[in-house]
Amino acid sequence: MGRIAEATLTDGRKIQYVITDNPPRGGMKYTYFTPDRSRVVQFFLHPSDARDPDVRKRLEAIIGAYNPTLSEEEGGARGNSASMAAYFSRKFCWPEAIVRTPEFGIVCPAYPANFLFRSGASNTLELRGIDKRSSWFTTRNRRFLQPGELGNFRNMVELSICLARSVRRMHQAGLAHSDLSCNNVLIDPQTGSCVVIDIDSLVVPGIFPPKVVGTRGYIAPEVLETIDLPRKDPGRNLPCVYTDLHALAVLIYEYLLLRHPLFGPKIHAPDSSEMDDFLALGPRALFIEDPKDHSNRPDDLEMTIKDLGPALEELFLRAFVDGLHHPEERPAAMEWEKALVKTLDLLHPCEDQDCAAQWFVLHDTNHPVCPFCGGPVRRENIVRLHLKSPLRGREGQWAGAGVVNLYDNMPLFPWHVLANTFPDEKADWNMVAFACHSRGRWLLVNHSLQGMTAPNGGLVPPGRAAPLENGAVFRACGGEKGLLIEVSRGG
Amino acid sequence: MADYTRRLPVYLLLDCSGSMTGEPIEAVRQGVKALLSELRGDPQALETAYLSVITFDSHARQVIPLTELVLFKEPELNAGGATALGEALRVLINCVNSEVRRSSPTQKGDWRPLVFILTDGSPTDIEEFHLAVRELKRIRAANIIACAAGSKADTSYLKQITDHVIMMNTLSAGDMAQFFEWVSGSIKMSSRRIDPGAAEMPPPQGFVVVP
Repeated sequence: MGRIAEATLTDGRKIQYVITDNPPRGGMKYTYFTPDRSRVVQFFLHPSDARDPDVRKRLEAIIGAYNPTLSEEEGGARGNSASMAAYFSRKFCWPEAIVRTPEFGIVCPAYPANFLFRSGASNTLELRGIDKRSSWFTTRNRRFLQPGELGNFRNMVELSICLARSVRRMHQAGLAHSDLSCNNVLIDPQTGSCVVIDIDSLVVPGIFPPKVVGTRGYIAPEVLETIDLPRKDPGRNLPCVYTDLHALAVLIYEYLLLRHPLFGPKIHAPDSSEMDDFLALGPRALFIEDPKDHSNRPDDLEMTIKDLGPALEELFLRAFVDGLHHPEERPAAMEWEKALVKTLDLLHPCEDQDCAAQWFVLHDTNHPVCPFCGGPVRRENIVRLHLKSPLRGREGQWAGAGVVNLYDNMPLFPWHVLANTFPDEKADWNMVAFACHSRGRWLLVNHSLQGMTAPNGGLVPPGRAAPLENGAVFRACGGEKGLLIEVSRGG
Repeated sequence: MADYTRRLPVYLLLDCSGSMTGEPIEAVRQGVKALLSELRGDPQALETAYLSVITFDSHARQVIPLTELVLFKEPELNAGGATALGEALRVLINCVNSEVRRSSPTQKGDWRPLVFILTDGSPTDIEEFHLAVRELKRIRAANIIACAAGSKADTSYLKQITDHVIMMNTLSAGDMAQFFEWVSGSIKMSSRRIDPGAAEMPPPQGFVVVP
């Protein structure tokens, strides 16, 4: 254990930290822990960064008026409630305070324990205490991890939702992360969660963008293309919401398909790796699954974006075909969040016990086959709810509001039964009903819904169940927001 | 699926001459061990960096061929003999020529190799040294960083090899540990940079950049 030192914060509070030899260094800062390891105190490597007034202004804004991890009452972001603040404080390692002495620095929460490997995570490597950067899970490095560390496909969809939501929250406030990458998003596939770190270099409205270069593979092509121009040159493309949207799409693609969307076989410059790489990720970047230009397509592509269902396929095409070189075409974080939530409802358990993915997107019930292992799904196990929401002012007319593939013991939540309800940081996460497969019958068991009906029109009180026969139609719950459910079986 | 990751070849040229006997060579052994454990905890380094060790005393040899980090076995290092740095550069040129994948119209090439030279003296094979330096300059095959260790190291020879020369004052275990810490930091930075060029990490405290 090293020597204990004390830092004074700008608000006068004091915090202790432990000075160690060779403290961990990032690109801009080095890090010490507090004695209880719940927080880190970070100082800048280059004194010029610590003196830069823009760096200070940026940090003050991040910690104060733009802080989604503090409620408005506590001095955080406008409109932020205590429960929303609590939600986002689990999704970001958001800076908490500015250090005044011994020198300019910041205080951040330490990474939560589930984002650090425990001993035994790998048979080949000693990973205890190492942070779970995304690239452990999405690259060849996966082979070093024990199967239990890897989670399943459902977990990857869940943590993708979590990331899209966190990025949407930043963008909604006008903030951009500026260096979203495999290094700055820690993931825990076992619990399907992620945490965004390195929040100190955000793009803040009204302050000149930070001096961030970004990370290879996640920098938007237009930024890489102009990276050699001086920072304040008007021709230089700087990090912004659109560049985050490129990085977000890359990360989601990696989480779901375990490969990078732009790393393919195409050679752009045969005589220099450096130039080839610049072209392949910058001015001539080409999606490996581009539907028209197959020159960067690996020969052995097995799963493709088609296997992720129409909602995600459309967004990936917009991100990597239409929007790759046209930033304004890229899907917004909110669109990713919505499409991923829809996709989560379409997941179906693979019936092959040995399938590593365990879940897949069952979007085409005419070909119910797991794309990961090729295993078929028995038709009797396909039970779909088609949700329909009432059209305002037109009684008796309904509009499609989503599709849910049921599995045994699947919980349903308020957004499955109420119109205009979305699973986000404001959502009520209490289960309202669940699916049950019992003695060859599929049932929807009412847990807490008022006004749920059976297909025959009778009321189904909490604790009772509605049978799910092909073609059955019934009300999920009462009230003017209550959805209508139509059942289809067997594809 | 096929792997389109470029490799980052890293060569360590380590002085094992007689003057390194005792604490210095032990410090180098510990340094290589620490370097390895550091890099194996970094997913990007693990994915891209490949490591080779070339040692030199009265002769030079590649003791570990370019190997991916997870399979790398620490070399046995023993000190004794003269300082055949020229021969070591010759071995480096041959290894780079045979081990580093070049780009071609059909193959993604490796990154330009990173080379770290650690020596506590000056070359005893001057003629070979000059020839090898000329050859190295001609093929511009690598980003080379040289470290002169201790007061007897002659930086003027190292400056002929590369512009990036740093100096550490002593051969103590502490300084050596810092040097290897810095090497691992440089490799980590390079493995995640957009254009992995010469390391841009500021040298460790107490080390001097030779102008």
